[in-house]
Amino acid sequence: MAVKKNRIYILLCLSSVWLPSKSYGEEITAIKADRIDTVTSGLIENGVIVIRGGKISAIGADVKIPSTANIIDARDKTVFPGLVNPCSVVGLSGSPGGEPASHPHYRVADELYPFQDAYRRILQAGFTTLGLTPGGNGIAGQGAIVRPVGRTPEAMLITESGLLMIRFEANDKAKKVITDAFESAKKQTDSADPKVKPLVRALQGEIPTLVRCGGPGATMHLLPLLKPYEKMKWVLVAGPENYRIAEKLAKAKIPVVLPAQIDFEEFTRNRINVPKILAEAGVKIACVPIMDNAEGHEDFLRQMAELTKGGLDKETAKKSMTIYPAQMLALDYRLGSLEVGKDANLLILSADPLEVGAKIHQVMLEGKIVYRAP
Amino acid sequence: MKNKRSKLCNCDNPFLNFTFCILILEFVLCCSASAAAADEKMTVIKGGDLYTITSGIIKNGTILIKDGKISGIGQNIDIPKDAEVIDAKGKVVMPGLVAATTLLMGLRSSGEINKIADSLDPFDFEFSLALASGVTTAFVTATPPRRRGMPSGENPIGGTNAVIKMAYGDLDNMLIKEPVAENVSISNRQWLGKTNFLLNLRKAKDYLQKLAEYQKARDKDKKLEEPKKPADLDPYIRLLRRELPARVEGATADDILAALELVDEFGIRIILEGCLEAWIVAQEIAKRDVSLIITPRDKQEPRKDISGPSGSTMANAAILKKAGVRFAIVPQGPYFGLGGMAGRDLMTLPMEAAFAVSGGLDEQTALEAITLTAAQILGVADRVGSLQVGKDADIIILDGHPFHYRSFVELTLINGKILYDKKQSTYFSHITHDN
Repeated sequence: MAVKKNRIYILLCLSSVWLPSKSYGEEITAIKADRIDTVTSGLIENGVIVIRGGKISAIGADVKIPSTANIIDARDKTVFPGLVNPCSVVGLSGSPGGEPASHPHYRVADELYPFQDAYRRILQAGFTTLGLTPGGNGIAGQGAIVRPVGRTPEAMLITESGLLMIRFEANDKAKKVITDAFESAKKQTDSADPKVKPLVRALQGEIPTLVRCGGPGATMHLLPLLKPYEKMKWVLVAGPENYRIAEKLAKAKIPVVLPAQIDFEEFTRNRINVPKILAEAGVKIACVPIMDNAEGHEDFLRQMAELTKGGLDKETAKKSMTIYPAQMLALDYRLGSLEVGKDANLLILSADPLEVGAKIHQVMLEGKIVYRAP
Repeated sequence: MKNKRSKLCNCDNPFLNFTFCILILEFVLCCSASAAAADEKMTVIKGGDLYTITSGIIKNGTILIKDGKISGIGQNIDIPKDAEVIDAKGKVVMPGLVAATTLLMGLRSSGEINKIADSLDPFDFEFSLALASGVTTAFVTATPPRRRGMPSGENPIGGTNAVIKMAYGDLDNMLIKEPVAENVSISNRQWLGKTNFLLNLRKAKDYLQKLAEYQKARDKDKKLEEPKKPADLDPYIRLLRRELPARVEGATADDILAALELVDEFGIRIILEGCLEAWIVAQEIAKRDVSLIITPRDKQEPRKDISGPSGSTMANAAILKKAGVRFAIVPQGPYFGLGGMAGRDLMTLPMEAAFAVSGGLDEQTALEAITLTAAQILGVADRVGSLQVGKDADIIILDGHPFHYRSFVELTLINGKILYDKKQSTYFSHITHDN
């Protein structure tokens, strides 16, 4: 019985959810909505979005709808870009742990399994892009930037190149592993060695680098360690205590990924809004769900609403779940906002996403409705 | 008393009260550290009684601080016009205290720590407690001494150590020196470790002798082969070359005498920790270049299996002083923390020294034992430990004599920057003495 159910589910996935972009052809869709929150260029009231070949071809209040367009009526609704989680481990094997080591050749793309229920739930929670990152200490390997849906692992991948993941802890071994790897890669820029090439690409800023690092003390060790690699585009995946060095992070222009959590000050019950503190210091932030699982992603908009209730600027909150993480993944030319030329990744919601109780009615991924709320 | 406290923090739980204060302190520390960094103005401490340690007490004196160092000290000193003046009238001004031993302080790393400089956490909350306690410099080790939990084994030597400053939030200004000693764990009761230690030391000595002979004869006989350096003996070679001292734990007289034999046989430098029976062999210790780190409040009954004196005495420090032995003083609990028994850890370091005074030691030597002598034993006396021109401006200002049980640290400066202010921190600001 269970097997049968699974089969039906897989068939459903295959048939309904995802089609590669080639087959779009000149399919035209138009969304008419009361409110379109572009995130990057303000709110459009009574607006229209025209989508051709999976991309936004026109957006605005006085856009003409082509006669051949399929029309999605979103009156009384808000349209918002699809959410981007730049750093997740959902659906991947656990971290091997152990001593810091260098495994730049390891690829998350090689262990992707699309038909996991968590991905379906995450997509329905409004996330159209995930950065999936490998575990392991030191240079953990290459992460994959994916759509949380697809027939095959390849169909999930948004980019071939992905990202480089590093896990850092302040000690001599971790420092040595990282420095040795990069210093050696610097001398072999033409190498095709799978153990070297990802490092070279990260060094030259061709792929983004995510560095997970514990407290602010460890971050202070990390900043000088990576300073010599000027072209590298690295992002700090931080714990909550990093608010103590907000000014330093702002000055170093290091973007920060952090959980959308109201935290407590050490040893107290005093609440502290770390995303707000960092944002107000001038740090570019990306918020991710407190728990990195399906439930966490389903709860994410409520978590973000709580941050704004606690004083985080709404504009910043919206950017921190769309365009900022897209920038951190170097995919802001394709994702993260509603602009002409970008992928039509969007959510149709009952209200502003930061309004408590806002419901996601539909999720569109590259022009296709991939989820309709029952 | 309880009412008063509750009013201050709106909280009935005294533990929460205290911890609540810590957070605010950390904010204050953070802000002041970054604000002072841009400030190149001269700082002046005016009007206090300066306990210089090296040249007595200067009544109503003045200290000039420039670029983080003491640039002037005395009674008749002109104060520059644009200087930032700290009024210390009626206060005691003295060098920041030096903790000659601490237990795994300020280090955050799940794995083994081979280099302390790479694992220091400048935001560790112990540093803020240290500042509030007047301690500005401390010895830290990645492998604590045997008594404090190091598993005894076959390998009696290893692990790094360092002397660091309590420069909260300021990673660049924390490390003074690493390493400063070899951690050695030998005791007559750990025969295997000690046997291996002696074997390796002799092997290393052998090698050094052969190396010296080879270097002498090299010019005459070109065919001579250089002796091969034995593997894994680097720490022993450093000891024999007197590059670093050995930190050895030795509580009883026989442990101490055994360590002294090492000095005689190998000529190595030794820092002895514990030493509660040192008073029995004070004359023997005084004959050799050995430094002690003692804990005056350590107590032990006389041993029944020993004929002759044994056990502890509160006169330990006084007897050592009379014999001419150099020692630093540390408390029983070599840590800063919110748990344990108050008055027994590094948060009340002067109390430990005061107890030695109860046992007959002079106040000056007791003060030195928690400042200059401790700095000398750690090998950092060129930077810290006294109020002298050229030394780091690591200074504390107290509302009374450091050995008085009512005294509190009011200001703590490191490199001339105020990192702790009792009034603002609320750590102890709710404690006042009305009479």
